[in-house]
Amino acid sequence: MGEERKETVGRTWKKKFFIALFAGFLGLGGLMSVFGFTGTAFALPLGGIGDFYVEFDELNGKGFQLLPHIGETGDSDAEPMIRNKIEEVEIKNLHIYKDIKMPTGGWVRVHIRASGPTKISGLIQDARMIDADLSFNELAIKEQNTEDFSTNWSQDAKTITIKDAKLVTDYLFQSVVSLDGTKIYVEKIDEPDMTHQ
Amino acid sequence: MSRKEAKALKKEEKLQGKHRKIANGGKFRKWRNKRPFWGASLIFLAGLMILYIPLHLYSIAFIPGSFVFIGFLFGGLILIMGILDYIYPQFSTVFGVVTIFLSILSVMGALGGFVIGTIIGIIGGALSIAWEKQEVTIRGVVPNKKQQDQDEVPNEFMEDKEVKTVQA
Repeated sequence: MGEERKETVGRTWKKKFFIALFAGFLGLGGLMSVFGFTGTAFALPLGGIGDFYVEFDELNGKGFQLLPHIGETGDSDAEPMIRNKIEEVEIKNLHIYKDIKMPTGGWVRVHIRASGPTKISGLIQDARMIDADLSFNELAIKEQNTEDFSTNWSQDAKTITIKDAKLVTDYLFQSVVSLDGTKIYVEKIDEPDMTHQ
Repeated sequence: MSRKEAKALKKEEKLQGKHRKIANGGKFRKWRNKRPFWGASLIFLAGLMILYIPLHLYSIAFIPGSFVFIGFLFGGLILIMGILDYIYPQFSTVFGVVTIFLSILSVMGALGGFVIGTIIGIIGGALSIAWEKQEVTIRGVVPNKKQQDQDEVPNEFMEDKEVKTVQA
């Protein structure tokens, strides 16, 4: 029963696959280790993923500016926010985390933790809530008679120190960031952080 | 027969069985088998994942330095690689290499789809590189109904059909 026929079929070579896979991960590891050695990432944006939380023990910044801002969040197109711009920042014990709902219904929390000092240049951060101890040096609050809400009011300071902060953040951008002793890990949680929901 | 020979024979039989399944299978199975289907699908998926971040960032703010466009570029190119991998399976190795390279680079600017996109891109690219087309002789093919009908047509028609298949 049956006949003999010539047919073109595709085949995946295991050896080739593992060599390519190994080379790929080696490349990824190489890139990561370059980041690891220098601890530097260029133009790292973090946003468009809904609320995430930023916590740290102490932040020392130079060239601080605070502006009103309207931005998109994970569940709203336009939400009032505070835009912080700081030229040079040094943070101690930075901890960023984000709660993600899994398709199975459970929740996981992705942590990014830097135990060493974190140095950032050109920080832009949109926050919906800031809970911290703040102190400023040469603080100037200005109002301008303009229709444009984003320049209507501003708060500038030469230096800023923030202690024991928790920020509900929706957008973060750094021109250059160097994270010392970074750990990225995921854990299962029972329910998400509902601060300022 | 030594154990080694028996093992090789078993492997050969298994492969033959697989090929027979393809030959007797439906249109989709045949289509899937003529291209690096899983590699291309994973590449396509990785492209979508890598594009997710810059697409969302773009709707929020125009980032200084326009770094979001690097994310767009990497994600878009990976997506195109996936589609081209379906259409031109003969270049699967090239597409695979380019995909792996772009997936790794996408960590900058697009975060590599939270690194998951990068990992899926590397796996898809490796599958694409490892894929190869080969011509095999399959024994024990059951002629399907269509082919049985073809068998019933006069010989001159059959010859004509065969020529067409070879040309295709």
